[in-house]
Amino acid sequence: MTTVSDQPTSASSTVGRRRSTTEIEQDTPQWRKVLTSDPAARVTSLLAFVLFWVVVSALFDRVPGPVAVWTSLVDEFSRGEVFGNFGSTLYRFGVGVALATVVGVAVGVLMGLSQLSRAFLESPVLVALSIPAIIWAFLTVMWFGFGDTGPIITTFLTSVPFVIVNVAQGVRGVSRDLRDMSATYDVPMGRRVRDLVLPAVTGYIAAGVRFAIIIGWNGVLLAEWFGGGGGVGYRARFWYDANRYAGFAAWVVLFVGFIVLLDRFVLDKAIQRSFRWRDAR
Amino acid sequence: MTDQLVMGPDTGPSTPAAPDREAAARRTARGRRWRRTAVLALGWVAIYAVWEATSWWFGSRLLPRPHEVLQSAIEIIETGNFVGDFSASVLKTFAGFGVAALVGAPIGYAMGRSRYWRAFFHDGVTIAGTIPAIVYAVMSLIVFGLSNLGPILAVALVSAPYVALNVAEGIRGVDNQLITMSEAFGRTPRQIRREVLVPTIVPFVFAAIRMCFAVAWKVEALTEVFGGRSGVGFQIRTEYQLYDISAVLAWMVLFIAFMLVIERLVLAKAESRLLAWRPEERGAAL
Repeated sequence: MTTVSDQPTSASSTVGRRRSTTEIEQDTPQWRKVLTSDPAARVTSLLAFVLFWVVVSALFDRVPGPVAVWTSLVDEFSRGEVFGNFGSTLYRFGVGVALATVVGVAVGVLMGLSQLSRAFLESPVLVALSIPAIIWAFLTVMWFGFGDTGPIITTFLTSVPFVIVNVAQGVRGVSRDLRDMSATYDVPMGRRVRDLVLPAVTGYIAAGVRFAIIIGWNGVLLAEWFGGGGGVGYRARFWYDANRYAGFAAWVVLFVGFIVLLDRFVLDKAIQRSFRWRDAR
Repeated sequence: MTDQLVMGPDTGPSTPAAPDREAAARRTARGRRWRRTAVLALGWVAIYAVWEATSWWFGSRLLPRPHEVLQSAIEIIETGNFVGDFSASVLKTFAGFGVAALVGAPIGYAMGRSRYWRAFFHDGVTIAGTIPAIVYAVMSLIVFGLSNLGPILAVALVSAPYVALNVAEGIRGVDNQLITMSEAFGRTPRQIRREVLVPTIVPFVFAAIRMCFAVAWKVEALTEVFGGRSGVGFQIRTEYQLYDISAVLAWMVLFIAFMLVIERLVLAKAESRLLAWRPEERGAAL
């Protein structure tokens, strides 16, 4: 707790030793400023994580350490298992998420625009939201066997309700006043959709797709884990079943890395861009 | 006053017509409510119809028909062994929440109070929120093996980032004037923490727990599917290995219903009870 009250940036200080922020700023030595800067904090947290990992792997002998994971990652690359499996998973994942986006946007717009369709679709969406991905994975494996179809359908079914909910919320949030005003001033329909509805909804679509991608990635992994037709999830299971947890952890690094990079560099940018009209000051 | 002046001449002649118009409005409202209920029921009918159609398409061995699932649900309830599994699953979920609140709330507190800890935890917390649930499930099994601790760890891992982010947001939203005033009146930092900051966190912890409850029980069940010794997920896996799909679906349906009830009754009740002292701010917090 001392670190909290010693912060140069926090303006709060007790009555006894009230100093101006510039005084505090000047008093802190240079090395402390470097150590408490944001990049240093990030590096420290990374180091702390690695240290934590090492400690945990020392405590539990079933948990592989960083070195073991790194060697099996290199092994897996040199065996040439990475790109082929990632390719087939990405194909299934991409088709599933694309389908979910198209269907979800259509249904979401419908739900946002009309009271009756909302009342009609409310319960199906609620039910779909609460069905766990594992059930879809089990069912689609039995229905479609060990091909591409099972994972695609699982991805689609697990992620589509999230797109629907987000888009419906966005459509309903389109300002009623602006809609009424454009109706009063006889703004043509094309311009109304282009200048009012679309900018208001794109952000929600982007947020919904982001949800869909995060949820769908879990879905596709689960379906491949149980579906066994190749792919990232299948390969991870192969190592898990062989009790070679370092191999499993190597795949965890790969698919967590993939989703984090996608989220950080593609989705975040896209969402910021699509909410530009709102957040710009 | 002006209202009365303007309305004055108008209300006079319209009083005899008012009840009539009011009754008409009430009738329209009732009609609309009726239609809404009918359409809502139609939604459930549609779910039933889609289920029937799909099970006809795949054959009832691959997707049992609704009444078969209902039958095995009744069987499960009649044999009475669902109580043990349900309470095991629910207890594990709440234990996981407890761990998540214990770990996540201090992290969120530090993140909200200081820039350093914010930078320190920010990346980890956002990354932890995007990691797929299957990773948490299998990792907790690797750590704890086949035991009850695995699902608890998985739930804690899934929920802690939500709690931390929400608490950080809440701490940053604390009324700064309140803190300045407490300082002006010579309260110690410890008193400020206890009387101003911590009470503000509580609703945010609750909001986080309610937000991730739907995710958490699924992760809990998933972990039990992979390697549990008791609980609903364990039952689902057992029935799946016996290819008794209607029992799998029956367990799922019962579990979903049960969790929805818990969410509506227990969580909402506890929340409104704990937050009864701040009626108008609740809306803003959630």
